[in-house]
Amino acid sequence: MNAQLIILAIAIPMATGVLSLITELRMGMRRLIGYAGLTLNLLVALGILCTVVGQDRILVLQAADWPAPFGISLVVDGFSAIMLMAAALVLLATYAYCDEQLRDTAGGLFYPLFHLLALGVQWSLVTGDLFNLFVAFEIMLMSSYALLVLGTSRGQMRQAYKYVLLNLLASMVLVTSCGLIYGHVGTLNFADLARLSHSGAIPSSAVPAICLLLLAFGVKSALFPAWFWLPDSYPTVPAGLGAVLGGLLTKVGAYVLIRVFVMVFGPWDSAVGETVRPLLLTTAAFTMFLGVLGAVSMNSVRKILSVHIISQVGYMVLAAGLALGIGLTTDTRELAITGGIYFIVHNMIVKTSLFLCGGLMCRYAGSDSLDHMGSLAKKAPWLGVLFMLAALSLAGLPPTSGFFGKLVLLREAMHGGYYLLAAVAIMTSVLTLLSMVKIWSYAFWNRARPAPAAGTGHPEKHPLKVTKAMAATALLVVASLALGLGAEPSVRAAHQAARNVIEPSAYIDAVLGPQQIHPLRLVDAAAKEEMAP
Amino acid sequence: MTLFMAIVIGVLFTVSIYLMMGRELKEVCIGFFLLSHAANLTIVEAGRLPHGMFAPVLGEGNALEVLADPLPQALVLTAIVIGFAVQGFLLTLLVVMWRRTGTLETSELATMPEEHTVEPDHALPSAVAETGEAH
Repeated sequence: MNAQLIILAIAIPMATGVLSLITELRMGMRRLIGYAGLTLNLLVALGILCTVVGQDRILVLQAADWPAPFGISLVVDGFSAIMLMAAALVLLATYAYCDEQLRDTAGGLFYPLFHLLALGVQWSLVTGDLFNLFVAFEIMLMSSYALLVLGTSRGQMRQAYKYVLLNLLASMVLVTSCGLIYGHVGTLNFADLARLSHSGAIPSSAVPAICLLLLAFGVKSALFPAWFWLPDSYPTVPAGLGAVLGGLLTKVGAYVLIRVFVMVFGPWDSAVGETVRPLLLTTAAFTMFLGVLGAVSMNSVRKILSVHIISQVGYMVLAAGLALGIGLTTDTRELAITGGIYFIVHNMIVKTSLFLCGGLMCRYAGSDSLDHMGSLAKKAPWLGVLFMLAALSLAGLPPTSGFFGKLVLLREAMHGGYYLLAAVAIMTSVLTLLSMVKIWSYAFWNRARPAPAAGTGHPEKHPLKVTKAMAATALLVVASLALGLGAEPSVRAAHQAARNVIEPSAYIDAVLGPQQIHPLRLVDAAAKEEMAP
Repeated sequence: MTLFMAIVIGVLFTVSIYLMMGRELKEVCIGFFLLSHAANLTIVEAGRLPHGMFAPVLGEGNALEVLADPLPQALVLTAIVIGFAVQGFLLTLLVVMWRRTGTLETSELATMPEEHTVEPDHALPSAVAETGEAH
């Protein structure tokens, strides 16, 4: 019965999206539908979280009751459940933040696009096979392309093509490697692939195709050589949209990276693990460090925050790399993934709240550039409190949530003997703090300097509703604080999820059932039967 | 047949990557369209060509070995549909881009003055009429 909850995680955003597409409805009605859908969605996510993490179960829904490797499986294990919960929270908060501000942009197209983005994100989190992952990614990315150019201002149109084309290229790589993997292995079901991989039965001819996936996911989560689309495109959109794109999309990429390379194509000594380990560890170091250097050099709030996304994704990839490290104990691997999961959730919430703070700062100061901001500590003291809490959390100071994620990760990096990586991670943290202090001192403490030209010429039609926006931001900051202060239970939940990622036998059994048949083997068996008269 | 298909796919990939490295966004888009065809052919090809095989309908007396695997066909159908949507979006994007910026040359887009790139939140011009036309 509980397994039916999974379909709600897809059906609710889909229904909400379709309903808000009806342009005959009044705008207020469409906004309300959005609130209803997203609240329901949060409740469903909470229900799933309680069932999966509370009772340590894995929910599996076989679409139309087709048995596992043949049909479409939707699976929620601890990792997915935690991610679903965080995503639902972020979606509701950002929607509350910008629903009125964007109501007239492109004739209210914002509403359906937002819900379809939610659909794509949540579908990617619950899917149980590689091809459905591609479909979910496409839904997510198509909505994000459209959201990115929503309003079609000149700045957006100038920059959007990089994001669109690079992500489309990545999607094509993903679908090509899906086809190749199917040709070599004969299945695309995560559980089935994991079973084969953990028994060493993945043919070596499939390894290059599988490693192509790294390119696809790397572009989507903005990893080191393929990250240049991000700093150009995210700062061009309004803060609310930047928050939902920056807070969710790259993290879904990181989730998939861990899911596919650590769980499905693990263990560490499998052919795939051997191949991707050095790539993951190197790219993690470069992503963390170059990302934060880029952020320090930027001069507007939204740009600093956007470039920071990159360096934070580096930590998540570090977790995936450590989980595949040479000769580590299972404990170390589990804890590395624990840190990774905790860090992803922390980052989704904190990054989104920082973006929302950035939007509010821009609203108060009338400009996004640090040169024209100032005196916000006097003008908006509560905004200062929210920004401070979120910024310290991003930098990783105790007792905020960022501290515990980094602590677990760094400890495991040292346990595994990756001292250089640990040093890079610590340096990245210090530089993160530096760039946050830069925003703080320019925007909140410095005296205000007048902007050169008064306004940008566009009259404020629907300005940001400050009270509601503050409440939405506060919701996320409180969630991040709760995550930090309640580190004990949340790390334990993440650990439980991580155990299943490193040792997925429970996942495999839950999806494939007791008798595990393989498509190719079924044909072989049938052929043999036919030959033996 | 497999060799022929492999060559076709290889040529398609080469041409599309070559086009995508161009400076003109129209070329890049055509490159992308070809790339999606190449990817679709790869799926069909990698899932074994159904050449000389029968449709997988049970009860018609065909041995299992001569039945085609239906899954790659299902996958490629989905991929084609998604590809269509993406191509439509890309073309629309190009039209709107051209109207807003007056150029589709990447080097010109990069050197364009920044004036309105970072706007405060409220300064979103509503351009539904123009995007509507572009469909």
